[in-house]
Amino acid sequence: MKRLIYSILFIVILLFAFDRIGGKILWELNKYTKNRILVKINRIENGLSESVVIFGTSRANNHYVSSILSDSLELSVYNAGLTGSRDIYSQYISLLPCVAYKSVPKIVCLELSPTDYIVKDDDPYSAIRRYALYIGMSEQTDAVFKEAGYYPYYQISHLYRYNNTAIQLLNGLIYSRNEKAEDNGYIPLPPPPHFPDTLKNSDFVFSCDSNKVKYIRKFISLCREHNILLVFTVSPVYLIASPNEYGVLKQIADENGIPFFDYHSAGLYLDHPEYFKDNVHLWDKGARLFTSVFAHDLKMYLDSVGFFKQEVE
Amino acid sequence: MLFNSLNFLLFFPVVCIIYFAIPALKWRNLFLLAASYWFYMNWKPAYALLLLTSTAVTYVAALGIDRCAGRRGKRAWLTASLVLNLAILFLFKYYNFAAESLSLLLEHLGIALPMPEFGLLLPVGISFYTFQALGYSIDVYRGQTAVEKNFFTYALFVSFFPQLVAGPIERSTHLLPQFKVKQRLDYDAVMEGIRLMIWGYFLKLALADRCGTYVDAVYNNLTQHNGGSYLLASLIFPFQIYGDFAGYSLVAIGAARVMGFRLMDNFRRPYFAATVTDFWHRWHISLSTWFKDYVYIPLGGNRVGKARGYFNLLVTFVVSGAWHGANWTFIVWGALHGIILCIEKFLGFAKKPMSGASKFFHWLATFCLVALAWIFFRAETVADAGRIIKGIFTNLEMPYLPLADCMAIFMALSIVLFKECKDEFHWNIHLSDSRYWVVRHTYIAAAICYILLFGVLNGDQFIYFQF
Repeated sequence: MKRLIYSILFIVILLFAFDRIGGKILWELNKYTKNRILVKINRIENGLSESVVIFGTSRANNHYVSSILSDSLELSVYNAGLTGSRDIYSQYISLLPCVAYKSVPKIVCLELSPTDYIVKDDDPYSAIRRYALYIGMSEQTDAVFKEAGYYPYYQISHLYRYNNTAIQLLNGLIYSRNEKAEDNGYIPLPPPPHFPDTLKNSDFVFSCDSNKVKYIRKFISLCREHNILLVFTVSPVYLIASPNEYGVLKQIADENGIPFFDYHSAGLYLDHPEYFKDNVHLWDKGARLFTSVFAHDLKMYLDSVGFFKQEVE
Repeated sequence: MLFNSLNFLLFFPVVCIIYFAIPALKWRNLFLLAASYWFYMNWKPAYALLLLTSTAVTYVAALGIDRCAGRRGKRAWLTASLVLNLAILFLFKYYNFAAESLSLLLEHLGIALPMPEFGLLLPVGISFYTFQALGYSIDVYRGQTAVEKNFFTYALFVSFFPQLVAGPIERSTHLLPQFKVKQRLDYDAVMEGIRLMIWGYFLKLALADRCGTYVDAVYNNLTQHNGGSYLLASLIFPFQIYGDFAGYSLVAIGAARVMGFRLMDNFRRPYFAATVTDFWHRWHISLSTWFKDYVYIPLGGNRVGKARGYFNLLVTFVVSGAWHGANWTFIVWGALHGIILCIEKFLGFAKKPMSGASKFFHWLATFCLVALAWIFFRAETVADAGRIIKGIFTNLEMPYLPLADCMAIFMALSIVLFKECKDEFHWNIHLSDSRYWVVRHTYIAAAICYILLFGVLNGDQFIYFQF
């Protein structure tokens, strides 16, 4: 029995040492990785200096061409959209470091998706796991992890904080990404072998998750506290929109005086499958056309609210 | 309760501590029985009634067989046990498939006969515990095992939690006697069990689930991928299913070992087999020996004419395919293996001594054949499997290659391959079994760190649970 206790104790001590040393090594290595997602997260976490920042999932990442927006608005633009950030919690965590530094964005465009407010069967917080290595950096970020129930596990194991990112991190140390293809955060998608050929119905079941709605409101409040002009957007999809798919989000936007640019229900490009990589993603050609339309609409809106006049003053 | 859930990681040490703290064997077994039912009831409590029914039926039947003096009476009890157990299995697992297939057949013949559907979920592990319980009935009938008079001991044999839901399918002659001996807390057994469990978790979380991300991405979106991706996914799937199932078996064997029990080995480096016949001596050993003892040999085995021998082999493998699931894909998978085994038997491969280049060629050919058959096992329909095979041969383009995922698979596969080579070829390298205490313990800590870093820790189900 004594032998067994000693063995278990030895393993626990060894495990603790490996865990803490491994955590430190990975923290350092993370600074050198060239993995796209991790480079972007690192950039966001270290504060962004651009005037316009776009948040959202892969749809945001692949649909908003930073240079087109920048040319049209004559403002610096960064596309902070991240593949897999499929809920409002990760958008909120991404916004936190942006307002923690001196240089705060003037405009934030939040690309919304139904997953930002509907109830889903799987773990609603799972997308925030990739931010786990930044635990302990800000109280607000920690609060989200506590709410998700992950916090104690990440406190126990520092290696576990890298469970979602370790392989990307190592991969990013070996392979260097094609930086030339990127445009201030925007990543163009190549054309697909086959364009989507069937116009399917959007298949979401719209049951509202009150906690997600709470976080949308927190996102709005955070922008308001820092005088950031917030804009909601929904880019095109090759799907037939369900009625009221974005009803809840539009209502929140109305209540808070937030403009809602809806290119989804408007059916933009429904007769142009050749702009899509799949039913929910535009490839580069479609994204460039869409960004031009959006840049024009956003500029008109900014003109109408006197944003540029305020800038000059 | 899943082995890869936090619940199990809390449940198991608590059960072990209480188990060893109980002084009397009788109470220990009762506690283990309660813990096993608790473990099972974590899925759907009502399905524990099915487990209890199967246990009660085989228990009573075995007593009946024991008490009957005449052969006819014994056979009647055995038949009752087989019919009742297989009826439950058929109702929950095969009824919908049979009804649908019959409806379709009648429709082709111009008869419209809609069959009622049975809308209940498949109870977890029903095929495993039913076969274990049936094996006991048959063993008692054959006089190979003594009847167990104590209902609770027998119930523990059927429901022993480490192997309840996905095997190994134990034999009464092997496991039942172990419940009659008071197991003591043995340092070597505990450490061996922990090492087996950790290697099992590695196979499941770091290999199988990593492979699963690629395989699912391709197999669940066939229209989005080309032949190159089909080929790569089909070459990765054999390792996913191996990691998943061998991983489960090792955690089960390890958990039992910690408590002092020995379960039978279920896998012996199957992809080193140089013939498909040899593959079945290494893959899911507890099931293949079950089918050999309770289906193949009663059919006559190979002690009949040549043609009848081949027929027996084919039937055994078709039934084995059907055991895996109510879908034509499994039946085709089983039939394919049966046909290959018949060909090997005809060509005399099983008895042929192989070495050097010839062995390597046979090994490669065996892996390719097994991987080809796995396509049917993994595909949703036979038509999908056909599409994949056609795509591999006609549309072989650059596959979908998510670099990070491929790197994770490559890393885990390299470690597994090293360990398997070491065991298969008896390399003189000792890590988990080193005579140095520090090396053995460092191995455990390092393996846990690898799993924490690169394992898929989202609590995915084990593939074999559906069977």
